[in-house]
Amino acid sequence: MAALVLLAALVAGEIFQRVLKLPRLIGWVVAGAIYGPSATGLLDAQALQDLKFIMHVAAGLVLFEFGQRIDLGWLRRNPWLAGTSVLEAMLAFAAVFAILMLLRVSPPVAAFAAAIAMATSPATVMTLARDLRASGQVTQRVELLTALDCAYAFITIGVLLAWFHAEYHGDWVVMAAHPMYLIFGSSVLALILATVARPLLMRLDAYGDVQRVCAFALVLIAVALGEWLNLSSALVLLGFGASLRAIDDRRRFVSLDFGPLGQIFLVLLFALSAAALDLSIAVAGAITGIALVAARYVGKYIGVLVTSRVSGLSTRKGSLVALGLMPMSAVALVFVHETVTVFPELARDLLSVLVPALVVLEMAGPLLARFAFIRAGESTALA
Amino acid sequence: MSALEAADPLNFSQSRPLTLGVELELQLFNTRDCDLTPAASDLIDLIERQPHAGDVKPEITQSMLEISTGIHDRHDALLAELRSVRNTVVAAADRLNVLVSGGGAHPFQHWSERRIFDKPRFHHVSALYGYLAKQFTVFGQHIHVGCPNGDDALYLLHAMSRYVPHFIALAASSPYLQGVDTAFDSSRYNAILAFPLSGRAPFVLRWDEFRGYFERLRGLGVVESIKDLYWDIRPKPEFGTIEVRVCDTPLTVETAAALAIYAQALARRILAERPALSEDIYLPYGYNRFHACRFGLDGELIDPMTRTRRPIAEDIAATLDALGADPSAPESEPAFAVLRRMVGGIGNDAYWMRSTYHVGRSLPDLVFRQAERWRGHG
Repeated sequence: MAALVLLAALVAGEIFQRVLKLPRLIGWVVAGAIYGPSATGLLDAQALQDLKFIMHVAAGLVLFEFGQRIDLGWLRRNPWLAGTSVLEAMLAFAAVFAILMLLRVSPPVAAFAAAIAMATSPATVMTLARDLRASGQVTQRVELLTALDCAYAFITIGVLLAWFHAEYHGDWVVMAAHPMYLIFGSSVLALILATVARPLLMRLDAYGDVQRVCAFALVLIAVALGEWLNLSSALVLLGFGASLRAIDDRRRFVSLDFGPLGQIFLVLLFALSAAALDLSIAVAGAITGIALVAARYVGKYIGVLVTSRVSGLSTRKGSLVALGLMPMSAVALVFVHETVTVFPELARDLLSVLVPALVVLEMAGPLLARFAFIRAGESTALA
Repeated sequence: MSALEAADPLNFSQSRPLTLGVELELQLFNTRDCDLTPAASDLIDLIERQPHAGDVKPEITQSMLEISTGIHDRHDALLAELRSVRNTVVAAADRLNVLVSGGGAHPFQHWSERRIFDKPRFHHVSALYGYLAKQFTVFGQHIHVGCPNGDDALYLLHAMSRYVPHFIALAASSPYLQGVDTAFDSSRYNAILAFPLSGRAPFVLRWDEFRGYFERLRGLGVVESIKDLYWDIRPKPEFGTIEVRVCDTPLTVETAAALAIYAQALARRILAERPALSEDIYLPYGYNRFHACRFGLDGELIDPMTRTRRPIAEDIAATLDALGADPSAPESEPAFAVLRRMVGGIGNDAYWMRSTYHVGRSLPDLVFRQAERWRGHG
């Protein structure tokens, strides 16, 4: 079944790219959605459940590669960027939370939704940046902010979950300790993995494919370890990629990617996560969805714009950065869904709020981000 | 001089003899994979927010930045301004996560990806030269030397041609191109030779005559302005200078300043001694130039006047000794010392690049280390 989805998604991707002149990944998403239970149902809920493993691996690969693109030293050289990042994430959270409260969504659901809305989709940003061969201030800033946003989102979700547990079980020590465990545990594990990976990958430097497969295996191990230690796999993988880059003092791994293997997982990631979206909810909650998307944009736009000049960027490019942060993908949902299923009611309400927004942004996000990269003059792909 | 004459771009403006100005074309690349990145306009926006030394301009592609100095007589002042403008550029680049370096060419960039800077002249050049314009993503140092009048400028231009191989070999810093070792010390120079109006100036010694020559070229529609001549050394009547254009951008401002002072010292001696010139000085010109590009300081130089041949390094050392005897030399001594160290053993930047690459075996790493060297570390 996965093979059929892959084939359909690849064909759709090429049709979108060549005939419709739209980003490939929208084709992958559309093909996935058509296969899903709420359309043709060729993939039913059970099949999706069985394919979860693929999505975990795929997300791990994306986050690892994304982490490798991130240069945390930039925050030291330009501290205002840290300011931009914190401000736009906080404002996006606040705006989404406020609008959902206005729409009479319950506070816990609003808080979870707002936390997820802080994040920009790394898979979308990376795929677009690679397809467009984009390079420049807007692309680099979108990538950095996306990585940080993801970290904030996963940490906030951890905090909220701990808080929720405390509400139910009254264990306040767990609540205080859990986020610390997430942050430090994930960072330490990431550093250990990077330290082990470096000499191993260095030895295999001359053997491109072997090195790639080795890195692939390391990512699988990282995903498994993250889950086993009850850490956030996303934080572990992002941190693993970023640490490996940070300790690569001879720049041996700058072109380390997963080649065609990575491409297969990437396509499946987009298609399968789109298949899991329940489209009937999307129609019912269209207004909430659009309100959430608008609030999220306003929050990020203000945050980025207020700090754009002091961080050394023109306001015009600042507004392009805000557009570049729009992509949000159903991948986030898959992960959150699992952690939140402990509370079935919460999970149901959360989906009814988030799915409509995700349907809008799965389509609009890549288009807006692509517009931003091209408008900034940063795409080098041959037309 | 009437207003009309003053506006004529072919009138040779008077400038103080032997004054210097330096232009350096710099590479801009990202910190992720060290490939060229289109950062020029963002960088210039940021730099121009505050007053700063020197001048910072866009060049033909977005991944190139040109810095230039004011007019100088002395080594210390020239070097101080170069350091100051370098520091300004590096500080701004740090905030944008962009790396800056010297070097005549990017070791592994792919020309098809370079964007042409958004300015009409550059688009014109791009449309005209096609792939050459993109391959022209090479980075050079231009040295302006002030001349009292057009006739002296042409005399100096031709007399200096004897030393063109010195400048090529000392400045050579483009051994790698498109991901391979070209075996040349300066591969940049070969990119320039592909242009129809590159090479040497015609052997014309009087400004009126040069003017006539240029007018005829213009009449044929071959050129529009002096800017269309990509000669090794060309007159720049607007500034009242000759412009030595054969140098790759060195990896440090110290070498750049030393090369400028070397040009000044040679010009001073030539104008004082006035050796006789004939077109024969150009007989071994192409041969010498090739040797300098290919073998750098180890190349061979044939002297057309004495009809002797010797290694370029040896010829430079002998020239430096002769120049050192000049009474005005003490001030320039630190610059000569930089060049003496190069010919005396530490070699040129191309040599440094090859040794650095052999340690890390990674071209991105080499580029990163070039940026460290440009900063003044490493």
